[in-house]
Amino acid sequence: MTAPDRVAAAAQARPATAAAFFCSEGLHKRFGGVQAVRDISLNIPHGSVFAIIGPNGAGKSTLLNLMSGLYQPDAGRMVFDGVDLVGVPAHKRVRLGLARTFQKIRLFKQLSVLGNVIAAFHVHHDIPAWQYVVHGAAFARDHARCRAEAINLLRFVGLEARASVLAASLAYGEQRMLELARALATSPRLLMLDEPAAGLNAAEVERLLERIRLLRERGMTIIVVEHNMDLVMKVADRVLVMDYGQYLFEGSPAEAQANPAVIAAYLGA
Amino acid sequence: MLTIVLQQGINGIVFGSLYVLVALGLTLIYGVLVQINFAHADIVTIGAFAAYFFTFLFGGNYLVSIGIALMVGAALGWLVNATIFAPLRERGSELLPLIATIGVSILLQNAMLLWFGPIPYAFDSPYSNEVIRLGGGTFITWQNLIIIGVSAVTIALLYAFMKFTMMGKALRAVAQDRETAGLMGINPNQLIMLTFVIASALAGMGGAMLGPILVLTPFAGTSVIVKAFAIVIIGGFGNVEGTIIAGLAVGLVESFATQLVNPGLTDLIVFTLLLLMLAFRPTGLIAEKREENV
Amino acid sequence: MSSGGGLALADQSSNRRWWLLVAAVVIATLPLVFQDSYWRTNLIVCAINIMLAIGLDFILGYAGQLNLGHSAFYGIGAYASTLLIMKLGVPFWMAFVCAVVLSGAAGMALSIFAVRLRGHYLAIASLGFAVIVHQVLLNWISLTQGPLGIYAIKPPPDIALPGLPVISFGNTANMFYLVAAFAFLFYLLLDQLVRSPIGETLTAIREDEVSAASFGINCTAWKVFAFGVGSAIAGAAGAFYASFVGTLVPDAFIITESFTILAMVIVGGMGTLIGPVWGAILLTVLPELLRGFGDLRLVLYGAALTLVVLFMPGGLVQAVQILRARFGLLRAAGDAGMRR
Repeated sequence: MTAPDRVAAAAQARPATAAAFFCSEGLHKRFGGVQAVRDISLNIPHGSVFAIIGPNGAGKSTLLNLMSGLYQPDAGRMVFDGVDLVGVPAHKRVRLGLARTFQKIRLFKQLSVLGNVIAAFHVHHDIPAWQYVVHGAAFARDHARCRAEAINLLRFVGLEARASVLAASLAYGEQRMLELARALATSPRLLMLDEPAAGLNAAEVERLLERIRLLRERGMTIIVVEHNMDLVMKVADRVLVMDYGQYLFEGSPAEAQANPAVIAAYLGA
Repeated sequence: MLTIVLQQGINGIVFGSLYVLVALGLTLIYGVLVQINFAHADIVTIGAFAAYFFTFLFGGNYLVSIGIALMVGAALGWLVNATIFAPLRERGSELLPLIATIGVSILLQNAMLLWFGPIPYAFDSPYSNEVIRLGGGTFITWQNLIIIGVSAVTIALLYAFMKFTMMGKALRAVAQDRETAGLMGINPNQLIMLTFVIASALAGMGGAMLGPILVLTPFAGTSVIVKAFAIVIIGGFGNVEGTIIAGLAVGLVESFATQLVNPGLTDLIVFTLLLLMLAFRPTGLIAEKREENV
Repeated sequence: MSSGGGLALADQSSNRRWWLLVAAVVIATLPLVFQDSYWRTNLIVCAINIMLAIGLDFILGYAGQLNLGHSAFYGIGAYASTLLIMKLGVPFWMAFVCAVVLSGAAGMALSIFAVRLRGHYLAIASLGFAVIVHQVLLNWISLTQGPLGIYAIKPPPDIALPGLPVISFGNTANMFYLVAAFAFLFYLLLDQLVRSPIGETLTAIREDEVSAASFGINCTAWKVFAFGVGSAIAGAAGAFYASFVGTLVPDAFIITESFTILAMVIVGGMGTLIGPVWGAILLTVLPELLRGFGDLRLVLYGAALTLVVLFMPGGLVQAVQILRARFGLLRAAGDAGMRR
């Protein structure tokens, strides 16, 4: 079967009620001489955890960047909950309900942990323009609300006790959790995590898994780009395997693990 | 008519060569350190004054004074790197070294103003007035010939150095990827220092040759530096070939512009070109794209 | 920052209000302390420099945009207001507003133009812009009279309120109150903005634009906003400068002026609002005290700038924080570093 046939077949095999929350067709992205992403098509149903895996350089992060709007595709379509995403810049996608974390930690080092999360509430402020200059009642309400919600988020990721600490002084694992809290602050409907488990020890990975499960229970759709097969096996509903920027396999995690082409790609046959 | 064109063409190449010398220094530093040394202009001025004093105070040979200016420039380059860029490198700020060099530039310019005064010095090299008549009614002074000659030789030597010698290649390696170069046994800090020394030596030389053809005041370097920035951007930061082409181009454009429009407007024209360049092709004529690594 | 830290919001507010009151009282009494016109002139120049410095800091220290061309907006404000008044007979305050708007628009235009430029490229673009503005002021003789300059510029018109003596701005004390009042107001405006979510937005953009975009921040729009506000304030400073000094020459706005303002911001403490105020005061007053040494003052600017960057990049604000910590007076603050 050709790749598009596979995807189509997989889509047909899914229960009919699962509507594609996020779908893409034929995404292409080239950087100079390198075709980083070639002809990738995805269908991600609502409320699922979808993993994108593949060896190094497979184009996973590039795909995520295309989805979050950091790059624009050279060709192809992307639709999120009925809204066409191509041409929409990254910051506008956040208002539509997409959020992401980054592979390289990008915290605001000069700010406190709490300050980092509050900065992410940008799209949710409810203040009339003039009150930015004269801080009135709505300003105070918004301020209090943001603080309270930020603390809730920190509690969710287990950083409540570190709220007033400088972000730069957090341990690596804590910094990753802060990244998650910041992404959640935008109240996303689709959360994209770029190698969230990178550099975490086993206990931290467990905690991350728990959070992802909790979020899925609350109805969030999650896309995870990961290397860590353990995490993927435990939490993903479906998996897309990429290699050399191309589609290699899509299916359940168990199927992916058993697939000879996938094994060959990882072992570098 | 043809005479004018040819004459301005020659003038253009003369000034262009000097701009290239100054701009090469800037672009080399940027290539290797991704930093701009604002005090570069003042190294040019100091080079000019050094040559002036060597020639007129100590009665030295003008050609030798170019060499002196080269060494003075090199020493200043060493100093600036050692005291400013090297210590600030650890802090990893993009802004701070730039601002520090702005401070140094203000300091040097005004110190020179205090010592040398604002009145222009008459820097007449023994070659300024002797003229060679070329065909078609054009002429060239020996000074200009020296400028073109020395610049061309220097640029050629530099180019050869960068392309063919081990050290030159090491320099390009550091420019491309400092960490990897370090892993391969190259000491980036030493090479950065070498770059500074070479760049500032070029600036000093440029100053010595500019002295006789420009007005020699503490601000002589400034008049050249802003054009040098324009050239570096048009040619592409860190791009040696681009800088050479752009430098000569700007020299020629300027020469012809002086002929065609009010000379006070040439700066305006060059800068508008610069802004247009930044708008449409900020990475320079011979562009290389660098995508942000996320 | 209001959003973190050990001090509760209410505590910070009352602290702040107290300091603002002190500042207001100081401003009110300064002309009474300094009665001679030499020092009053310095005070007015100080107030103008404060406006320039806080405007630049909003762009540079908060939004993180390396603007080396601030002198251009200063000059645009000065010439625009003067030309409107003297050539078109526009009343002072209307011309003032126009000048502010025009400078702000110029700032936004530069920002839009430079939107894709980072770091050094933006620095050079802004420098190029300042050179172009200066060259235009110098060469467009029919409009600006070029290097000869414009003379006999009048101060703002007298204000006659019923029942009160006429307030004439030829009087240096009154002029000081006017300019200082505006400087104070602009400071308040920026302070309010910076302590609101807008301040957080600008900080996010300064620290990491990619992250900021991932929070839904439209970086371009906010950079343009910061530039617009900062340059509008510079325009106001220009209008006051022209009406106070009475003559206007293009060389008052050469690019070296941008570096002077930059020095005030850095020496005072980039990224705080009170820092540039201190920087402006210090770098206006100190050279005057050393006037006997002539051009040594600019050497001092250069030396101060270099040394501060090398050894105390947070400027005076950082120095004060270190001193307070040393004497145990620093209360625990969650947001350390360059915050007030």
